[in-house]
Amino acid sequence: MTSVLEIKDLSYSYRGHWLIQRIDAVKGISLSVEAGEAFGFLGHNGAGKTTTIKCILGLIKQSGGEVRIFGRSNQDLSQRGLVGYLPEQPYFYDYLTVAEIMQMYATLSGIPSAQRADAISRALEIVRVSNRSKSPMRSLSKGLTQRVGLAQAIVAKPKLLILDEPFSGLDPIGRKEFRDIFLELKNSGTALFICSHVLSDVEFLCDRVSIMAHGELKGIFDIRDRAALGAGGYELVLRGFAGKEDELKAGAKSSEVLRDARGERLRIIYPDRSAAERGLHVALHAQLDIESYESIQGSLEDLFVRLVKFEEGGKRA
Amino acid sequence: MISSIYQIALSTYRESVRGKVLYSLLFFGAVVVLISALFGAVTIGDQVKVIEDFGLMSMSLFAVALAVISGAALLHKELNRKTIYNILAKPVRRWEFLVGKHLGLLLTVGVMLLLMAIGLVLFVYVVGGELNLLLFQAALYIFIELIIVTAAAIFFSSIVITPALSGLFTFSIFLAGRSSEYVLQLVEAIQVPQSKKILEYLYWALPHLDKLNISDQVVYGHGATFAQLGYSTLYAVGYAGVLLALASFFFSRRDFN
Repeated sequence: MTSVLEIKDLSYSYRGHWLIQRIDAVKGISLSVEAGEAFGFLGHNGAGKTTTIKCILGLIKQSGGEVRIFGRSNQDLSQRGLVGYLPEQPYFYDYLTVAEIMQMYATLSGIPSAQRADAISRALEIVRVSNRSKSPMRSLSKGLTQRVGLAQAIVAKPKLLILDEPFSGLDPIGRKEFRDIFLELKNSGTALFICSHVLSDVEFLCDRVSIMAHGELKGIFDIRDRAALGAGGYELVLRGFAGKEDELKAGAKSSEVLRDARGERLRIIYPDRSAAERGLHVALHAQLDIESYESIQGSLEDLFVRLVKFEEGGKRA
Repeated sequence: MISSIYQIALSTYRESVRGKVLYSLLFFGAVVVLISALFGAVTIGDQVKVIEDFGLMSMSLFAVALAVISGAALLHKELNRKTIYNILAKPVRRWEFLVGKHLGLLLTVGVMLLLMAIGLVLFVYVVGGELNLLLFQAALYIFIELIIVTAAAIFFSSIVITPALSGLFTFSIFLAGRSSEYVLQLVEAIQVPQSKKILEYLYWALPHLDKLNISDQVVYGHGATFAQLGYSTLYAVGYAGVLLALASFFFSRRDFN
């Protein structure tokens, strides 16, 4: 398959207050999105997702690394017409009508004037806002504004659609309609890069997901591979494990043993029940502080919570 | 490229005109009628000249105020409301965006000036004066002056953080430009060579807006020649071009966090 989006070792940092502190918002992430693929881009608030999207679109300049869209640098605008973007909570000019907004974005997307009217009416039809084309933007509800946001993103039939919280402001029916639209776009060969907190929708739509925490990419997972999501294992999280680490780790792969940043908590994932029970027995016998012990079901939400929760040292519920 | 600039300019114009601009226009009309009627009642000399003079001065002030306030807030509003994200995610260069914004703002103040000029010409006619079409020429010169003022507003909003500060800088440039002749007089008066040189550079760097103001000429029945008009337009477009090029340079390096 061809990569429509390739990110290699991307980093972005900026100066904090009084230009003294340097803050690393994105720390050397790498990923690629293939043609026709739906790729979920997940992370907690402030993980660096929107910053990454802004780097991809050239709204901010990356501090390091490389972003290629359709094989070309993201600074090269020649391929940008093939990219659609729906920002989180899109804003438009209040006094322009829906039709005028669409006319503007269709023109800016590079659609030839002869094809513009058809492209606009098709996009509005897809998002079901055709009947409001003469309404000023300021009269639209949040959900309708989101629909116009999607319409402007798909008006030029993009080959890569970047969606930042696309379900924001939508009611359950709107969410379903958006999911159906995304599926249809995906089936017609458009690659989707979806950043969302609605994990059930991401799980439903995406082929692969990546999870970011504190500017780092924690992993890329195939959504169909339940084992990759962690299904079937057992997780033991404990504190005060000094001197017992080797015994506890017996039966677990080294890659599945993680300490938190302060070295106070240890998370071990055992591949089977007997290994997990051995580890649990060691912990109980040594009267260690067991924080949790659970069987891993392997949903995307479990994986997300587990990775982000552990990364944040238990601060996040 | 042209169609992108045109579309950004058109959207900027529509957004401005449907907003608060028309209210300021109505306010202008009311103020001119009220104050000129008052002036006319107490003036010994030519009432029509007073109305024309006061009307042109008000037009210039209102148009500059609109250009400074709208221009200084233009980019900040785009950034605060994040409307710029959608636009720059499309195949649009940042300089195209700035030029589009400049033209849109210019179109807004241009239309407002035209309406005010029509109002002034009709008002002068109603109070007993002639149908003085030279007033349109004076309005055109105000417009030429605004080519520079709006570009200065765009330039300052591309480099400073708050709209108040960029508005203040723009208005300072307008005042300094209107007073550039005084800087020249200062150059001639000063004897210290270094200070003289610095002031001389300052004189050439400032926009010579006072040379674009022909209101007095028009009130006394003298219009500008085509050569003057051509030279003034070229000067304004050139000066605004430099300001926009500098604005584009800084704007293209800006991160939209």
